[in-house]
Amino acid sequence: MPEISLHNLVKAYGKSAKPAVDGVNLTVADGEFMCLLGPSGCGKTTILRMIAGIEHASGGTIAIDGRPVDCVERGQFVPPEKRHVGLVFQNYALWPHMTVARNVDFGLRLQHVDASEREARCRDVMTKLRIIDYADRYPSQLSGGQQQRVALARMLAVNPGVLLLDEPLSNLDAALRLEMRAELRRLHETFGTTIVFVSHDQWEAMTLADTIAVMEGGHLQQVGTPDEIYARPANRFVAEFIGNPRINMIPSRDRKGQETDTASLGLKLTERLPRDVPIDVCGIRPEDIRLCETPADGALPFTVESIMPTGGSWVIELAHGEDRLFHSTQSRPRVRPKDQIGCLLPDEALHLFDGSGRRMSIPGYGMSAAA
Amino acid sequence: MAMVPSANLLAPPNVWRRMRHRLAVVRHEPALLIVAILTLFFLYLIVGPVLSILGDAFVVQSGDSARLHQDEGSLTAYYLARVFASKMSSILIWTPLVHTLSIAVATVTLALTLGVTLAWLINRTDVFGRRWFATALVVPFMLPTWTFALAWTTIFKNGTVGGQPGWLQAMGFATPDWLAYGYLPTVFILTLHYTPLVFLIVGNALRRLDVQMEECARILGAGTRTITFSIVLPLVRPALLSAALLIFADCIGEFAVPYLLGLPINYDTLSTGLYRALSSRQNGVAAVLAVAIMTMGVITLLIDIRMMREARRFVTVGGRGAMERRQPLGSMRHLAASLPVLCVLIGVVLPLLTLFLSTVMILPGRFTPDNFTLAYWIGSDLHTIAMRNGILVAPDFWIAAWNTVRIVGIASVISGCLGLLVGYGVLRSPVSLLGNILRQITFLPYLVPGIAFAAAFLSLFAVARGPIPALYGTPFILMLALIAENMPFASRAGIAAMTQLGREPEDAARVAGAGFLTRMRRIIIPIQAAPLATAILLPFISGIKGVSLFVILAVPATDVLTTYSLRLLDYNYDQAANAVVLMIALVAWLGTVLIQRISGAGLSRGLES
Repeated sequence: MPEISLHNLVKAYGKSAKPAVDGVNLTVADGEFMCLLGPSGCGKTTILRMIAGIEHASGGTIAIDGRPVDCVERGQFVPPEKRHVGLVFQNYALWPHMTVARNVDFGLRLQHVDASEREARCRDVMTKLRIIDYADRYPSQLSGGQQQRVALARMLAVNPGVLLLDEPLSNLDAALRLEMRAELRRLHETFGTTIVFVSHDQWEAMTLADTIAVMEGGHLQQVGTPDEIYARPANRFVAEFIGNPRINMIPSRDRKGQETDTASLGLKLTERLPRDVPIDVCGIRPEDIRLCETPADGALPFTVESIMPTGGSWVIELAHGEDRLFHSTQSRPRVRPKDQIGCLLPDEALHLFDGSGRRMSIPGYGMSAAA
Repeated sequence: MAMVPSANLLAPPNVWRRMRHRLAVVRHEPALLIVAILTLFFLYLIVGPVLSILGDAFVVQSGDSARLHQDEGSLTAYYLARVFASKMSSILIWTPLVHTLSIAVATVTLALTLGVTLAWLINRTDVFGRRWFATALVVPFMLPTWTFALAWTTIFKNGTVGGQPGWLQAMGFATPDWLAYGYLPTVFILTLHYTPLVFLIVGNALRRLDVQMEECARILGAGTRTITFSIVLPLVRPALLSAALLIFADCIGEFAVPYLLGLPINYDTLSTGLYRALSSRQNGVAAVLAVAIMTMGVITLLIDIRMMREARRFVTVGGRGAMERRQPLGSMRHLAASLPVLCVLIGVVLPLLTLFLSTVMILPGRFTPDNFTLAYWIGSDLHTIAMRNGILVAPDFWIAAWNTVRIVGIASVISGCLGLLVGYGVLRSPVSLLGNILRQITFLPYLVPGIAFAAAFLSLFAVARGPIPALYGTPFILMLALIAENMPFASRAGIAAMTQLGREPEDAARVAGAGFLTRMRRIIIPIQAAPLATAILLPFISGIKGVSLFVILAVPATDVLTTYSLRLLDYNYDQAANAVVLMIALVAWLGTVLIQRISGAGLSRGLES
């Protein structure tokens, strides 16, 4: 199974506009299950389409299995029909005039696979994806989940070395998402295919992928395992993008770059931190905040503003002067709104970021309890 | 710490390498090639003729050099002066212009009044039989205009011209010229023909209107009058204006009706004037007239485009059309139906019945049993000089019918396919500028009335130019002209169909390993089969009904049903001519029904575009 490597990849639409993809270097290892994660418009789908070849690069190189398939510097371009990759579109792009069986069959016919083998392989993949019963139906007669499985079967039938998926679970309801998730993981394990998928949904990324590449504004922000990017976000963007409820960010300076006023949470925290490093903001995951009913040593006084049950867990909004923090807990909270309470913000749970938003590695800090 | 050199080991891309990469991409994207070829083709086929006739207006034409003391082909302002500022100007342009404009204005006014009333009755009230009328009222638009003109002549023709008299004349009522020919019948017939268009366009706008907007006004205390004049009418105004301008432009280019009803009393419009100039070999004058007609067409449609852009400011986002609200008419329900009944009667039943009766009667206007015969349809050994057989057994008819099907059919198939290809090219072209140019060029014939376009075609293709031989007299000139004339519709249909399809089904096939031809054959064309069928059938119908292109470009060898019937008429074989016209109307109507079946979209949408 091939590896995919992107080298200084650039995609610009028009000269003046900001590039959609701006100098991305990324290697997807052989057999890896990788997610390109980012908000909409971050360039993730563009990268996927460039790997498939339905968009071409404006700069840089894409190589599949060591062979450059799109290289501006060398003037090389291999069209999608010759790349032998599979791409599952976000809205499936099933061919409406063909039955399910014909949709799945199409790629094999193009490869002039003989009828009996074609039949066998189609049956096999349709059985695996549990759409064999709908083989003679047309796409318009199928539900969203079934259509998605046909789209997947269509690509798997030709057994591509690389499978690209665009928002594979986005159009499905909650039950189907779980089912499809398991399906995709199982497929990855069975076929050992290199899979790259695109998502804006961190749940999808976290639960499916071996490796997550977080993107923003056309740039790669961080590449790592789901645990790594959650526990050690490389910058403010990643820290804030991953995690639900969002990480609490406590600025140590106000917007003008001045130290914030004496009553603020930021200053109280900064006092505890090493003095010689230019810390701009501290982050703490909601679940890392510890509540204590009686003011303990080092605890800061807070007021409970509101309590939001989210089914199985609770989010508690805490106020300290003008500052607001969110705490999440799995156990039923014993506090009520307006209660005065103490909060511990342990040093090891604080993620420290400098003025440019980069993570600062200081021993003793930034090791989430989750890690 | 040492400086780490850039990881990029390859040379930075220079212009040459970028070009090479671009070429490598484009090589696998035939859309650019398609667009380039199509653009050249249509430049030649559409822009070429227009430029050619524009040039003809300023260049000494063959046969005029002796009179002008100038060599053939040298520059001259003579034709311009002759048309606009000479003793002949009044005959050549000013009177026809006044006639054309007064016909157009009267038709627009009447058609709008009648059309809006009908649209309101059918869409917004519970008038008796509204569903049935919704279909029946559209029929006059499917029939060629000259069906009505012939029916009119059958009844009202008087002794001013020779041949068989009209029914009234035959029964002893002398019909005056003003009733039999010229302005009045022309306006009457064009109104009949274009009222359905208003009915369709305004009806659609009314249906799309969100009822909640009206209900909101009602809640705020507005009465029916206020709602009609300050909510509904302003909102359908864009549709109204658009319909008005469309009809206006069509009236300027209308040829068949003024030709049939104006000629007997020398009532000329611009288009019949152009025809006369061409048939009397005044090519230079004809060129000036054609340019004048084109200019008027272009101005009208530019206004339309402008107004549509303005109107887009308050496009009503498709509301819930299901929430229909109709005004109950109470006891007036049946009485109000008399207006649509009258329209169907005069617009459909009467003309068709008249035409049919005229084909089974030996002497006009005599309703006695011995006067009825089917001989003009299926008889043989008739006592006429040339047409000795009934239409359905006359070889000439079948030759003309076969010619029609062949010429119009081939042209329609080609225009339908080219339209889809234009759609493909415009949407897929990696150079969007080229795509836009192609889109504009293919739309151009829409601005040029048929008769002027035919003259332009004649100007370009009548003589051999470069490798292209003289095409006049061959079926090819007709086919090319039909293709060019049909491109506005065909390309729009193609672009719409391709837009709706989107890129993804094709991209999916590419990823699956399908090359360009496979994608076309297995994905694009099968998916677009229904739009393609419509895009072939609609030009076919309009081609079968069309007169202006054929009357100028056809020769006896390429006789089609329309020219055949006009020729029969010239020889006073009225029964046979009317029979041919009925056959054309039948084919046109059947074709429209077929389209409706195929597209399922309903006629109104097809006609509106």
